[in-house]
Amino acid sequence: MNFINIKIAWRSIWRNRLRSSVVLMAVAIGIFGGLASVGVMKGMIIDNVDNTLKTETSHIQIHDKKFVENNEVQFVINNTSELINEIKKSPNVIAVTSRTKVFGMASTASKGSGVMLNGIDTEVEKSVSIVSEMLVDTNSSWFDTNKKNRIVISKKLSKKLNAGIKSKIILTFQDYKGNLTGASFKVIGIYKTQNSMFDELNVFVNKKDINRILNLPENSSHEIAIMLNNYNDAKLIAKEFSDKYPDKLVETWYDLNPYIKMSADMIGFMLFIFMSIILLALGFAIVNTMLMVILERKKELGMIMAIGMNRRKVFSMIMWETILLSFTGAFVGIILSAIFTTYFGHNGIDISSVGEGFESAGYSSILYPVLHLLDYVQVVILVFITGIIASIFPSIRALKMKPAEAVKE
Amino acid sequence: MKKVIEIKDLFKTYVDADIIVKAVNGVSLSFEEGEFAAIVGPSGSGKTTLLNMIGGLDKYTEGSIIIDGIDISQLSSKQMIDFRLNNIGFVFQAYNLIPVLTAKENAEFIMQLQHKSKKERQERIMELFEAVGISEKANVRPGKLSGGQQQRVAVARALASKPKFILADEPTANLDSKSTADLLDIMRKLNEEENITFIFSTHDQRVIDRAKRVITLEDGKIISDEVK
Repeated sequence: MNFINIKIAWRSIWRNRLRSSVVLMAVAIGIFGGLASVGVMKGMIIDNVDNTLKTETSHIQIHDKKFVENNEVQFVINNTSELINEIKKSPNVIAVTSRTKVFGMASTASKGSGVMLNGIDTEVEKSVSIVSEMLVDTNSSWFDTNKKNRIVISKKLSKKLNAGIKSKIILTFQDYKGNLTGASFKVIGIYKTQNSMFDELNVFVNKKDINRILNLPENSSHEIAIMLNNYNDAKLIAKEFSDKYPDKLVETWYDLNPYIKMSADMIGFMLFIFMSIILLALGFAIVNTMLMVILERKKELGMIMAIGMNRRKVFSMIMWETILLSFTGAFVGIILSAIFTTYFGHNGIDISSVGEGFESAGYSSILYPVLHLLDYVQVVILVFITGIIASIFPSIRALKMKPAEAVKE
Repeated sequence: MKKVIEIKDLFKTYVDADIIVKAVNGVSLSFEEGEFAAIVGPSGSGKTTLLNMIGGLDKYTEGSIIIDGIDISQLSSKQMIDFRLNNIGFVFQAYNLIPVLTAKENAEFIMQLQHKSKKERQERIMELFEAVGISEKANVRPGKLSGGQQQRVAVARALASKPKFILADEPTANLDSKSTADLLDIMRKLNEEENITFIFSTHDQRVIDRAKRVITLEDGKIISDEVK
């Protein structure tokens, strides 16, 4: 095999340095822009999915089938401890916790707000949720006291209720028997997740306290939250549990939050769609450049066809030049993207000044771009395909030349 | 001597602004191995058209061209390309070297198309560069060579594939007197020492003076065929 076509193609790129540089810059900027944007979006989505799973949905949740309809207190899961012990036996499960959940009203002397009370096993909860790691006030603590009726609220709710650490909050809700009940809780912690809507709604109390006030039966809860080794296995494991506990409703994280599932699924397509659009636009610029190249080299192409270079080789020479031109630009773009992603993937891009809207949608105000090797491979393949497609029209123009006329030009 | 090219009743007509033009009008002639022939005539006499048809670059309307026993009109376009590659060497007026390749690479190019081994290519090219007197310029790109040197590279390239004959279309048109004389010396030497067949299309008196045979065309017809 000889590489004369590739050698000529590569050297030919540098014949008109200015023109080639302009095309290379366009390709490099296009690829960098596309990859950097996808990296930022991908980082946002991964962060959003990760945070949602670790703060809101976990990987699998189990409820009483009727509880999910109206979140009514009486629809509990009995024998919670036994159920948790059984679930823990699954090799795919890494953590399980139970929660009591009840809608109620949180009030201070001045204001009130509807909240979801999460009665949690304060230690085990840490293995399923990262809310305990998101305390923001320096005086905050995560239930490291045995005292009764302590509550952790979000920063957003804290502002709304005008309640800081050590403030008292009155929680009012319906008990197990349907009677209105309530109790006073002292704020011991203030947290802040990336999702301000979640923050505004959710408060955390010790499960023992809330179960006592609710008069819930012994060893019962409303929700079992499970974390798996791999969240992609959720569907499979949920099916197993569903078969095993037919009277319970077993839901995966994407049943619980279809939007997150959609976001996670989009990651794969996003790069393809983004880069295809960018490369389509760049493809036209490349075709235009190559057409100019063909016109300029009419005599030379006529000569090589005259002396005996066959059509396949002429096509391959033009195709290689187009591919190499695209690749060189893409290489620069990929290097720039890799530098961008590595630097900001580590240091983050702070958009807190404009990020409030992001937070209400569950996205972090500090973005960490993420790109994987497969993303770069995908771009390289797309550039290769673009190069081939972009070379077709110029090659056809070249092959239509009559050598006898072309050498005389 | 063996006949390399045999042309019989060759016609080439085309329509230009509703007028039928007979570029080649019933030409019959043959070339033997080792000839050093010049096809001469004024502009528009049909000499380049005739040369292009012999080289398979242009199709003829009527007649036949038989090269080494093969009727080239019977060859498909793909077969014609291969035939040119292996049987015909071309030297063009404007040298037509590939500017991004060195002199050596330019000459080697045609052998690469023939899939010759690197060793064979290098031996052949060095031998040819020696013969045309540009060995010291082997690694220089065409842009840094004089017109005469570029045309010598073009001759080496044409010879590299070991063709049955060389077609040279106005090879000296862009050269000064000294370069023309040097080039003609080289080609004449190759013709005499290695029995290589050269067919020129030219109206350069210096080439005509050195040719062993002069075929004169006028209005597409042979008006004289003189062997010196």
